Amino acid sequence: MSALASSREIQEKVLATQGRPGVVHTLLIVVAAGAAAFGAWCWSLQIRYGLQVSGLNRPVGWAIYITNFVFWVGVAHSGTLISAVLFLLRAKFRTAVYRVAEVMTVFGVMTAGLFPIIHLGRPWFAYWLFPYPNERHLWVNFRSPLMWDVFAVSTYFIVSAIFLTVGIVPDAAALRDATDGWRRRFYGLFAFGWRGTDEEWRHYARAYLYFAAFATPLVFSVHSVVSWDFAVSDLPGWHSTIFPPYFVAGAIFSGVALVVTLLVPLRRILHLESLITPWHLDMTSRVVLLTSLVVTYSYILEYVLAFHGPPSVERSTLVYRATGPYAPLFWTMVACNCVFPLLLFLRQVRARPAALLAICVLVNVGMWLERFVIIVTSLSHDRIPFDWTGIYRPTFVEVGITLGSLGWFFLWFLIFVRLLPVVSISEMKEASAHGGEDAA
Amino acid sequence: MRPEPGVLGVFSDLARGAQAIRALRAAGHSDVRMASPAPFPELVEALERGRSRLDSVTLSGALLGVLAGFALCIGTAVAWPLVTGGKAIVSIPPFVIIAFEVSVLIGAAVNLAALAVTAGRGRRRRAVPFDPRFSADRIGVFVVGDGLGDAETILRESGAEEVRRVA
Repeated sequence: MSALASSREIQEKVLATQGRPGVVHTLLIVVAAGAAAFGAWCWSLQIRYGLQVSGLNRPVGWAIYITNFVFWVGVAHSGTLISAVLFLLRAKFRTAVYRVAEVMTVFGVMTAGLFPIIHLGRPWFAYWLFPYPNERHLWVNFRSPLMWDVFAVSTYFIVSAIFLTVGIVPDAAALRDATDGWRRRFYGLFAFGWRGTDEEWRHYARAYLYFAAFATPLVFSVHSVVSWDFAVSDLPGWHSTIFPPYFVAGAIFSGVALVVTLLVPLRRILHLESLITPWHLDMTSRVVLLTSLVVTYSYILEYVLAFHGPPSVERSTLVYRATGPYAPLFWTMVACNCVFPLLLFLRQVRARPAALLAICVLVNVGMWLERFVIIVTSLSHDRIPFDWTGIYRPTFVEVGITLGSLGWFFLWFLIFVRLLPVVSISEMKEASAHGGEDAA
Repeated sequence: MRPEPGVLGVFSDLARGAQAIRALRAAGHSDVRMASPAPFPELVEALERGRSRLDSVTLSGALLGVLAGFALCIGTAVAWPLVTGGKAIVSIPPFVIIAFEVSVLIGAAVNLAALAVTAGRGRRRRAVPFDPRFSADRIGVFVVGDGLGDAETILRESGAEEVRRVA
């Protein structure tokens, strides 16, 4: 059956999400804006008084800010994985969920990008990170992994934003033609004059394939580059060859878990249950389960490598990680990332959105802790025993900025879902016309 | 842009739309166009329009990016030849990372620009009369030319909901 009967129904369901926000949605926006404002105030304190208001000190010079940076870059990975990698693999379940993942990617990178600047202490010199001609004829050091990060994250943000915008074009055209007033003009801006002619589709399909082909290696390269920020140093606990695949798997794990965390309440609030079905949640949670197993394998491998051979500083650091003052965080991380996700083997758990939501929230907590544990415990237990007495404790400024980053991310996300479609209308129409699993 | 004269058929069924396009082409109508709410492969195949030629442009952009990335790294390293960590001034392995990122960046930007140019030009040169239903739940099949009595018949026989002449 190739009728287009359900196409209008799909469009109307998505259009219904674009109305004036309800009380719950407005309240969430106010809370997110409040958190972002609090974070901005905390940052202003750090700008006024310097990094002394943070808990950063010898030997822990990288802590919550870099943890947040790695966490948000990781979260941003799922968008490209779901939209680009699964597009190339022709995975049908991506159709209903990839827009949310792409939006999360763009806002995730926007949030991640704040932290290196906040961590600088003197953010007004942030432009020194970029190569530009200057009167001293000085250039940035391209042999430093921190410079690789600047290029990798900037490229990732720009390519993800292009990918998201191009994907929205046909949907914005559909909404432009179905609305009037300021909304028609607003959607018209994102439609770029789209008419849906064969010539447009012909070039669009090819270009979209290339965007996916460009974005796919970025998924693997960006977090590999982030892992090299640590692995290229010679600090025990950081200097490891398994870091790139370990970080990429962890990034996908946390990112897909956050997609599920956002999808479960979103489909309910926006009444999208018939478009984002339990089948989509089931398939997405299988990705969470798979990446959880890869991450668990990486944790085990790290210890096996350290215990293989004669005693080493590496082994000492890893024992400290599991038994020292940060042990409660380490074991919470293990429970959240390795134990709770095993419940996803059960079909009954995957079929219950509330259970999925609970597991995925725990995974996000666990993945944030993973980055914290890697960064802080390695620095706390470096090669100088004199340093080992120092315990890092975040100050309220650092906690406030962290909460502010959550507010900043959710503020953008909550505004987006009311202004632009969170489900790909054109791809859903195509899937529906072909009677696929995505049919509404 | 003034629409070209022709006959427009409106379809609510994908298979019938594709069948109409094939029948029109078999009857000798070379300039058959369509507009649809989604990228239905059946319609694209029926039109036999061939693959978009964005490949070479996008590939050129990516190659330009590789060269630009290496040029930036090598040029700036040589301009201020300061040895750090005992590494070579022109240290290729780390520069590959920058070259890769710049390649993706410029390749994607060129791909976007090429899409904007080709899709925009295609929309103007092979225009289909505007109808908001074509972005919602209907397919428009447009045959360009004068007369076209047989095209009207083919569109009706193929199951078009509506057939009209565009002056």
